[in-house]
Amino acid sequence: MLKKELGLLILILVIGALTAAINPQFVSQVNLMNLANQIGLFGLISIGVGLVIITGGIELSVGSMFALLGIFFLDMLVNHEIVWPLALVVAILGGVALGGIHGLLVTRLKMQPFVVTLCGLLLYRGIARWYTADSTQGFGYGDSYETLEWLMSGRTYNIPHTFIFLLIVATIMGVVLHRSVYGRYLFAVGKNEEAARFSGIPTKAVITGAYVIAGTLAGLSSVFFVFYTQSVSPSAHGNFYELYAIAAAVLGGCSLRGGEGSIIGIVLGTVLLQVLQNLVNMLGIPSSLNFAVMGAVILLGVLADQQLQRRRQRQLAMASAEARNLAKEGAAGAAV
Amino acid sequence: MSDTLLELRSITKTYPGVKALRGVNLSVKKGEVVGLIGENGAGKSTLMKILGGVVSPSSGSIVIDGVSRLELTVKDAAHAGIAFVHQELNLFENLDVASNIYIGREPRKGGFLNLIDNAALHERVKPILMQLGVDFTPEDSVEELSIAQRQMVEIAKALSMESRIIIMDEPTSSLTLTETENLLRVIADLKAAGVSIIYISHRLSEVQQCADRVVVLRDGRQVGELAKDEITHGAMVRLMIGRDLKSIYVPPNVGVRPGGLELHDLVTTAFPERKVSLHVRRGEILGLAGLVGAGRTSLAQTIFGVEPAPSGRILLDGERLTIGSPRDAIAHGIYLAPEDRKKSGLLLDMSIAENITLPDLKRFSTAMLIDVSREEGVAKEQLRALAIKAPSIATEAVTLSGGNQQKVVLAKWLSMRPKLIILDEPTRGIDVGAKSEIYALMRDLADAGVAILMISSDMEEVIGVSDRIAVMHEGDISGQLERPQFSEHNILTLAVGNPSKEELVAYA
Amino acid sequence: MITSRRALIAMAAAAMAGAMMPQASFAQDKKTLAFVVNVPADFWQIARRGTEKAQKELPKYNIEFYIPGEMSAAAQKRILEDLLAKGVSGVSISPVNPDNSTDILNQVASKAALFTQDADAPKSNRLLYIGTDNVAAGRQAGEQMMKALPNGGKAMVFVGTMDAANARERLQGIKEVIAGSKIEIIDVRTDGGDQAKAKANVEDTLTKYPNIDLLVGLWAYNTPQIYNAVKAAGKESKVKIVGFDEDQQTLKGISEGVIDATVVQQPYEFGYQSMIYLAKYLEGDKSFIPENKQKIIPTKVIDKSNVKDFAAEVRELLKK
Repeated sequence: MLKKELGLLILILVIGALTAAINPQFVSQVNLMNLANQIGLFGLISIGVGLVIITGGIELSVGSMFALLGIFFLDMLVNHEIVWPLALVVAILGGVALGGIHGLLVTRLKMQPFVVTLCGLLLYRGIARWYTADSTQGFGYGDSYETLEWLMSGRTYNIPHTFIFLLIVATIMGVVLHRSVYGRYLFAVGKNEEAARFSGIPTKAVITGAYVIAGTLAGLSSVFFVFYTQSVSPSAHGNFYELYAIAAAVLGGCSLRGGEGSIIGIVLGTVLLQVLQNLVNMLGIPSSLNFAVMGAVILLGVLADQQLQRRRQRQLAMASAEARNLAKEGAAGAAV
Repeated sequence: MSDTLLELRSITKTYPGVKALRGVNLSVKKGEVVGLIGENGAGKSTLMKILGGVVSPSSGSIVIDGVSRLELTVKDAAHAGIAFVHQELNLFENLDVASNIYIGREPRKGGFLNLIDNAALHERVKPILMQLGVDFTPEDSVEELSIAQRQMVEIAKALSMESRIIIMDEPTSSLTLTETENLLRVIADLKAAGVSIIYISHRLSEVQQCADRVVVLRDGRQVGELAKDEITHGAMVRLMIGRDLKSIYVPPNVGVRPGGLELHDLVTTAFPERKVSLHVRRGEILGLAGLVGAGRTSLAQTIFGVEPAPSGRILLDGERLTIGSPRDAIAHGIYLAPEDRKKSGLLLDMSIAENITLPDLKRFSTAMLIDVSREEGVAKEQLRALAIKAPSIATEAVTLSGGNQQKVVLAKWLSMRPKLIILDEPTRGIDVGAKSEIYALMRDLADAGVAILMISSDMEEVIGVSDRIAVMHEGDISGQLERPQFSEHNILTLAVGNPSKEELVAYA
Repeated sequence: MITSRRALIAMAAAAMAGAMMPQASFAQDKKTLAFVVNVPADFWQIARRGTEKAQKELPKYNIEFYIPGEMSAAAQKRILEDLLAKGVSGVSISPVNPDNSTDILNQVASKAALFTQDADAPKSNRLLYIGTDNVAAGRQAGEQMMKALPNGGKAMVFVGTMDAANARERLQGIKEVIAGSKIEIIDVRTDGGDQAKAKANVEDTLTKYPNIDLLVGLWAYNTPQIYNAVKAAGKESKVKIVGFDEDQQTLKGISEGVIDATVVQQPYEFGYQSMIYLAKYLEGDKSFIPENKQKIIPTKVIDKSNVKDFAAEVRELLKK
């Protein structure tokens, strides 16, 4: 399991080293901190989407959630002059609610996750645009929200808060996913929902939980993004971000069939994606090639991973034959 | 009868570290049914893969119609008229019967448009289905067919290719008694029509019934061959396991105790118009027999909360339970080892330890975090207690043999103080040696005061293991038998829905 | 099963259509004039105010405003086809892809009076183009760049995509002016319309070229993202900024002195004049159409000297 993440880390280091060799500014403090900021911004939601993918589902609506929740957050803050802690909590709760709705639609009404979240993608974007009559929402000329702005987009010891938040969230979710009962249930449900149910796991609650976590992180990130772009244009804000999140999760080893993935992998997947975007600028590669670079690296990464998996399968088959031999010889003593 | 179609001569197959076959000989004559038996891992599947052209032998030769060759390709095999009816059926559920039979070989029309000539397709399929005497049409969707009917589709497919040798791998493992009878009749008809059959099965009585000759494999070696008049149950078992098998029934050491599971007028979603009442006492093994589709699995799943009961009462030790999900059932000490181990019993990609602790994970955790050392301790304990043969508790369940997988399923529940365990087809696809271990385990549990409900379609198993038998027919309990009344005849009589007591014959 | 499901979807669709149909479009006795834009943006909110003023002056007409869901020729074509089906009398459109939309534009021109605004489609049978001369606007920006860097320096340009005509024309105008000067444009970074990416592009540029002198934002959101990134990097005093359009933050940046100048169009006039002239044309007056069939609305330079008044004006226009 760890081999996959190690491979990804090596890939990042190699790409990073090559980039730094061509343009040493790549490893300058300023650039690394900018990079950390981007990783922080995109990493949170990749973790959320990754958890949903581990259940065997998919979450396509995060980009639209960013627009909708971002608009509502700004509207509360600027137009309704609600105190910021309340506005922040309401925005996050909005994400919780949307995630909860997705989870319930998927588990209780047995709708396909792709359909549910695709409709979410369309619906939330539409509501955001209708609510603002397609106009960009900004902080206006009025008050500034210094504490909140410092919290969401400031730096401590020059480390962007977005990145610090990502580290905190990744640590918590890492423990939840890899050490807790819930995490084990999540993998079990993703691998084989039926067998999980037959083992007495509350599968519906487990799956809904993953959507709620994704929604919560989407709510939190939507506020981070608001402070990054300083304004939200409802038709363009967060477009395609769900795909970045899915790409990071898949790069990080989450299988779209469910049951596989790790937090470290997802975070490293995000790192790789952001490094790729950054190196396009740092190496002066034409911006138009941005997506092409990303697509090519993801394709090669997943391809390489699959080859490694296949080798592992062969080893597994051998182990299986050995185990059967062992069984036949009746060497019960060797079992322990 | 003398002309030999196919002959395998001293076939050896070596995999890295494993000798799967060591000098096996096998010949098949025209119109002959050859029974091929042996425990799991004896080399039957490898031998069949060689015949199908999927695997090449390491040494030896294959003689077809007098021509000798070193190996077969898949094409050669098909060309030689060798066809398979697999244990796991390979049909397209979304297509109709005719399309399945001619998949990849559809009659075409319309020139470059390459349309399927459906009329011709159905015309070609009709006589084959007639020959088999089946009760479905070429237009029926495979989705709506029973497993037995699907098997007939596979056989029809083999016939449509004008196969001369049909290899049947565990064809009856999912069939009911009547369906099995029907299959054996079809085999007799095919034989009369000059088709040869290689019949692989764990069910020795069927082999005894249909085979002209039996070849026995053990540990990759051919350990014996029985001519028609030598085929007896005892002889086959002796050759397979290399020793005699004792009568499998072990009476309880401790008597039946009060309490256990009581069902009163329980209704299942599968048969909403039927009400089931049943009592499984602590300390006894109650066998639940019946035809496939009689509602046994539905009843088990209702008790376990997979499909909660619309009405009726479930009592455990006199206390009424409300069971809305497997979670509720498990909380009350009611556990199920489901029929389809790989689909519902196990998480194949997870380790033995993770499988064992899954239902009771909270016991191995502090503040919702799993205590890995405690988890491993319990897993090791169970591995030893149940003699699960695996390199370690970290071994993934998918690599285990069927018998050891079933033991892992049971190990899950054993550490959780079961009150009632429901075993649905506990030994399907499991070899003889592991079977007896599982029976012994069931007896130990019963002696320890657990109520055991065992669903089985294997007549030997139902009769040999149960303390009492209940028989189901179309969602009803059609009758219950005490040990002196146990017989295939009596069970079958009740299973086909004839509950009049006069039909039942006491054991002589 | 299938039929009943289809029926259900059809019913739902009918119900939605009923609920969302703009009531005004049923008033068939009035002639309809349509103003079609290319993409949702604040810019068009200002144009909408212009059409609203025209509506007050043209009570005999029914003026409608159309915003496609996404920036695509296909979405626009669908709107145009619907308008033709409804029997529209006059259309003023900002074509997304002018060169390849000639067919549908001519189809509209054959049945109604067709103006283009904002972006021209000279190959089509449009009667008149009302809008900005983006090359001229680019020249104005170029002049502001010269003013900001009298001794020359390195500049970087930021835009959504370079396949848009206005991006190319603005850059062309800039290049015409700075040609021969000591100002060098190093590169153009694109973001595909993603604002977070637009900001990241600026951050990366500031890292890669620590001594960059001037940043230019060609599209409305580029300038505020330049402003944000430059402020975050603490380089307000070192880097000059010239932009386009009148985003709130752009104007804020100018009043703070972080942004040197922005070149603004007058979308209000696009909206107002399109509608007024369409009505005139429909009433038989063709005298206002010049020889070259172009009516250029001049662009204005906003800098520290006039930003206060302009900001107040925009705020007034955008008020809901």
